[in-house]
Amino acid sequence: MTGLVGYLVTGLGIGAGFALVGSGLVVIYRVTRVVNFAQGALAVLAAMLTASLLSAGLPHGVAETLGVLAGAAAGLLVGVVAIGRPGTAPGASLIVTLGLGLLAYAVEILVWGDQPRSFPGLGGAVELAGARVQVHYLLIVAVTVPVFGCLALFFARTDLGKALSACASNPYAARVVGIDVRRMGLLSFALGGALGGLAGVLTTPVQQVTFDSDVALIVNGFAAAVLGGLTRPGVALAGGLLLGVAQTVVAGYGGGAYRLEVALVVLLAVMIAHAVRTPPAQEAAA
Amino acid sequence: MRAAWIAAGLLALAVPVLLPERHLAVYVLLALTATVTVGVSMLMGYAGQVSLGQASFYAIGAYAAGLLATHGLPPLLGLLAAPLVAAAAALLVGAPLLRLRGHHLAFATLAVQLILLGLLSRGEWAGGAIGLQGIPRFSAGGVQLRDDLGYAYLALAVLAVVMLVYRNVVVSRVGRALRAAATGEAAAAACGVPVGRYRLAVFALSAAFAGLAGGVYAFYLGYLSPGSFPVLLSIEFVVMAAVGGLGTVAGPLVGAGVITVLVQALTLLGTQPGMPGYAPAVLSYAVYGLVLVVAVLYLPRGIVPSVHSALRIPRGKS
Repeated sequence: MTGLVGYLVTGLGIGAGFALVGSGLVVIYRVTRVVNFAQGALAVLAAMLTASLLSAGLPHGVAETLGVLAGAAAGLLVGVVAIGRPGTAPGASLIVTLGLGLLAYAVEILVWGDQPRSFPGLGGAVELAGARVQVHYLLIVAVTVPVFGCLALFFARTDLGKALSACASNPYAARVVGIDVRRMGLLSFALGGALGGLAGVLTTPVQQVTFDSDVALIVNGFAAAVLGGLTRPGVALAGGLLLGVAQTVVAGYGGGAYRLEVALVVLLAVMIAHAVRTPPAQEAAA
Repeated sequence: MRAAWIAAGLLALAVPVLLPERHLAVYVLLALTATVTVGVSMLMGYAGQVSLGQASFYAIGAYAAGLLATHGLPPLLGLLAAPLVAAAAALLVGAPLLRLRGHHLAFATLAVQLILLGLLSRGEWAGGAIGLQGIPRFSAGGVQLRDDLGYAYLALAVLAVVMLVYRNVVVSRVGRALRAAATGEAAAAACGVPVGRYRLAVFALSAAFAGLAGGVYAFYLGYLSPGSFPVLLSIEFVVMAAVGGLGTVAGPLVGAGVITVLVQALTLLGTQPGMPGYAPAVLSYAVYGLVLVVAVLYLPRGIVPSVHSALRIPRGKS
């Protein structure tokens, strides 16, 4: 029983990371209908930069903030290339972001090498219902939940958030009322980049990061986001937390090698179940 | 057009003899990569689907041939089984998966490959993460292929067979139906095209191409490991197909050729004395990434169709 509480908290921490990557995907997909395959690479980039800044002597907080901002800037850059040319179809943009993800590998190896990196987070452990839990996992959850709250408020209450949602539901009508759809798309890429960067910065102290850990991040993030049809950040949060807990429990009870497979099977099952319920013609129109 | 094909064929036959022995490996791998790319190009061009897991069928073919051969069966049987096993796997996986479209299918195929790699690296029967060793050399009718020259011609023969099949699919009634389905699925279905079944058939056929190439790969290297079939390999196939031109017969060849030569040239540059150890990796990632982005944005139809229309329509008129 005490083991279970530990797994639960650890799983929530890991799942919060997935949820952040997934929410980045959701924010970009909602507005532009593009699935940003470079989302995992953005997290890795932000994490690596933060590690470098910390070892250069910058204090905690400043380095992390700069890392997240770098994630936003890189996200904006991805957006400029992926949707900057008028008339690029979302399918083509997916392949462009795939190419940019590969390009990010080149940059990461060039700057940071191909060895795993990490940096210290919040140290220490606490007793929770008899289980020892690293404090950093609590920090991840404590940061993620308010971020999602702000995200929900942003989309529902602010003019900018409403404009972003308008682009998602009807780009033509949005343009008619004077919303610059392309600028909103780029803004969503920057916001998505910041969320991806936040995921990388938060999870690196408990999980080392290498240049190619983006595949695991993007697959888990996509699995979290696809539960809500890639459009609902709230569902992405629930999905990410569920996925994190499921993986930790599976790992804790002896299936440690099968952690990624849990996410993959969930991903396939959810997508196929969704496709069976939606006729193809309707899907094409959506 | 026919003359160009004959010239290309003669060139492909002549090159292995003229090439120095140490460059033959590149030739063999290029022919095998082109074989897989033909399948990817067909899948993307005719079924309108992006597969980020084509290397899994390459791996399935290779492991099928390798396992049969290490268990004492004749290598020829292994090579023939490779495409069949890969196609059977594709039918099994494709039946539920091909309900998905676009980015969903892309992620699903990626997931399938990651699951396969996980299974292979933990499966004792497949040699685990260390890999499958001791695959005998390829032999048929008492003749054993020992040197790279033999494998160069075997790979070339496989590529020729696959191209022939591909060309016949393209010009057939099925090919036309698939093209119709790729442009307008509902319209094609309304005209009586069994879209779902055809799409599954193309998926299986592209997997068979990859499996056949994988079989040759197994006998050529004599050693297989999960690390030989990374996700990046699947992405490379997509890059080559997209760069060459989707849905054209010559496209996969041109795409695979251009990218392979480019990467080889840069690897040569990257391994020059004085270059840092990570240079080859950085250069090849950069090439794949840049070429993919530039091709999709500025040459969306690929090299071959663009050259075609440039030759037919004089400049200034278009």
